[in-house]
Amino acid sequence: MTAPELTRTEADLAAGEPISPREARLARAAAVLRWGAVANAALAGLALLLALAAALKLIPDLFPALRAALLAGVPTADDAAAAAGVLLIQINVSLLLVLMVGVQARELWALGGVWALALANGLALALLGFTPALAAIIPAVWTGITVSGDVRAFRANPVMLKELRGRMRGVRAFFVLSVYLGLMSGFMALLYLTYTPTTLTTGSAAAGEVGRVLFMGVVGAELLLIVFIAPAFTAGAITSEREHLTYDLLRTTLLSTPSFVIGKLESALSYILLLLLAAIPLQSIAFLFGGVSEYELVLAFVILAVTAIALGTVGLYFSAATPRTLTASVRSYSAVLVGAFIAPLTLTLALNAVRSAVGRTSPVIEAALVYAGDLLTSLNPVTAALSTQQLLIERQAIGFWTYTLASDGSAIPRASPWIAFAVIYLVMSTVLVVLAVRRMRQLEIEA
Amino acid sequence: MADLIIETRELHKRFGKFEAVSGLSLAVPAGSIYGFVGPNGAGKTTTMRMLTTLTRPTSGEAWVAGHSVTREPRAVRRAIGYMPDEFGVYDDMRVWEYLDFFAACYDIPETNRKRLIDDLLELVDLTHRRDDMVDKLSRGMKQRLSLARTLAHDPAVLILDEPASGLDPRARVEIRELLVELARMGKTIFFSSHILADVSEICTHIGIIEAGKMVAQGSMEEMRSQLMPHREILVTVRDDETAVRVQALVAGMPGVVQIARLEPKAGRSRVRIDYTGDDDGVAAINQKLASEQIAVLGFTEETKDLEAMFMRATKGIVT
Repeated sequence: MTAPELTRTEADLAAGEPISPREARLARAAAVLRWGAVANAALAGLALLLALAAALKLIPDLFPALRAALLAGVPTADDAAAAAGVLLIQINVSLLLVLMVGVQARELWALGGVWALALANGLALALLGFTPALAAIIPAVWTGITVSGDVRAFRANPVMLKELRGRMRGVRAFFVLSVYLGLMSGFMALLYLTYTPTTLTTGSAAAGEVGRVLFMGVVGAELLLIVFIAPAFTAGAITSEREHLTYDLLRTTLLSTPSFVIGKLESALSYILLLLLAAIPLQSIAFLFGGVSEYELVLAFVILAVTAIALGTVGLYFSAATPRTLTASVRSYSAVLVGAFIAPLTLTLALNAVRSAVGRTSPVIEAALVYAGDLLTSLNPVTAALSTQQLLIERQAIGFWTYTLASDGSAIPRASPWIAFAVIYLVMSTVLVVLAVRRMRQLEIEA
Repeated sequence: MADLIIETRELHKRFGKFEAVSGLSLAVPAGSIYGFVGPNGAGKTTTMRMLTTLTRPTSGEAWVAGHSVTREPRAVRRAIGYMPDEFGVYDDMRVWEYLDFFAACYDIPETNRKRLIDDLLELVDLTHRRDDMVDKLSRGMKQRLSLARTLAHDPAVLILDEPASGLDPRARVEIRELLVELARMGKTIFFSSHILADVSEICTHIGIIEAGKMVAQGSMEEMRSQLMPHREILVTVRDDETAVRVQALVAGMPGVVQIARLEPKAGRSRVRIDYTGDDDGVAAINQKLASEQIAVLGFTEETKDLEAMFMRATKGIVT
């Protein structure tokens, strides 16, 4: 009897082997989305290379052509349109990947998501002339048609239901939420009391200042909270199942690995989201004092939510890749500390050193330094939030704005840091979720 | 071969240099209650983990319900209900939620689940604990709940690792009765145990494993005749005199190998007859004694139980 040796890929395929027509259909749909993501990624890479070539003036008159191809209908500068186009394609890549995992996990939101993606891209094509939308519309519509015939294939995630039932049971959930809001309110009151005596003397014009301080205080506290609890919530998600020996039980059921991973992520994130939403009334107190615009409130929420998602997926990835909760937690916090704090800050310092060493220089190098600085700012949620706010106050810019180079006075487009921050963090999260699923399957094969 | 629901061929599993299972060939007929017996560390759990697709064999092949465990693991999972050695505890979960969760994992639509949960709880006699927290249940109840969980998707085969270990005698009997009930419902039950009494009482087939190898397997009858070529009949009579008569009468009968008078017990004399033959022969001995007007107080066949088979099968093999 010869031993039937399976290669790792074969075994990987077997782990997700469809056993019913429904599963086969979902697997096909997921494959279409994956190829859509690959195609869009290639497109984004190509567009980025062309934009670089245009910026370096390697090919003359490339920007207008790029703009015509990417975002023909937008009345902004050619280069800003090209940059926005590249970003949009990247968002499509990320969304296609998210939907791919969602379809594999049979999430109801994935079904709505494919149609929403198709619709949004259709609108972008019609209104903004975003031609690359076609590369997303085709796989999205294809998938939508494939899976919409069998709506019952999509369901509430069993793992998420189980987790939320446990988490929201009894008085504990209520108690935690109350303590959290109590602490936040106390913190705000303290901030108000320490800040007002110094400003009251200067009259009502300073009330806006008070509002802003209160707002920044709450958002800062929430950000701190997220940085600490998001990885903790997810780092134990998969390892604890291994430690409690329940993981084996789950593996012998028909629950797919993507369902499991997504369910864990959803339950952790929905709780964090609940905390964030519960604090919005507190943030809104700042409106009483003025000085804070609704844009700030929305952008703050986006940054907080994106941070929660990204750090949550970091924890989840390490939870999938390591056997113990302790190791997973240590690795998650280290990764967050290095990736989001130490690395961007040291690189920023290095960049400043380079900037002062180079001094006055050619516009190309200056522009490169400016973009590198923007990128580093966007890697850290705190700096991204602060400079987004600064930009909003000083230039009233929430999206793209024009920056004049000191070297030759020419203008380059720059994006508000929250945009790059959101795109980078969300793409990273998507990749981490896909990797977590992969890693778990590999570990199963090695068992 | 068609009626085998679990089949393995030359199954090997190595962990580093240690060979946990070496060349195991199992054959479990559909509808049987198969006791998988062996000393601790013999490779029972490893074999079960391979059959339940949790561990990949180093070499060899295994099929469950016609599906290969390496190539079609999900089809195998659909066909089996697995209960591991340890109860996987989700604290913070009610009994019905526990079943609801696993039913959902088996893709049973929400509309059917309530009914299913009620039926399962009734089957394992836990209806009255429906809304209790799982970690408040006794060990026996947890074990029954576990069993209910394995049944959620109506699998053809139950693979149970030491279902009776750590239970008090009453709980053990309850589990045993449940298993018999499930077998009556048409499920194949493959379970491991080192409690031989449990196995001999309910099994139709047994396999004895030692040091990762199958020592002997087959139906209970086959195993008996294979490992215990002699049946033992114990005749109890009033006194030694009668015992001597019995000895003389039976001595010449076909199939009788040896007759021995045993030490009297509680004032009664006993004769042990070693016998090879079928039930007709046993009846013939009985009739012969009756026709000779011998007052027989007891005529019993000592079912040389599994313990003796087990000792014989595993004796002399160095682990």
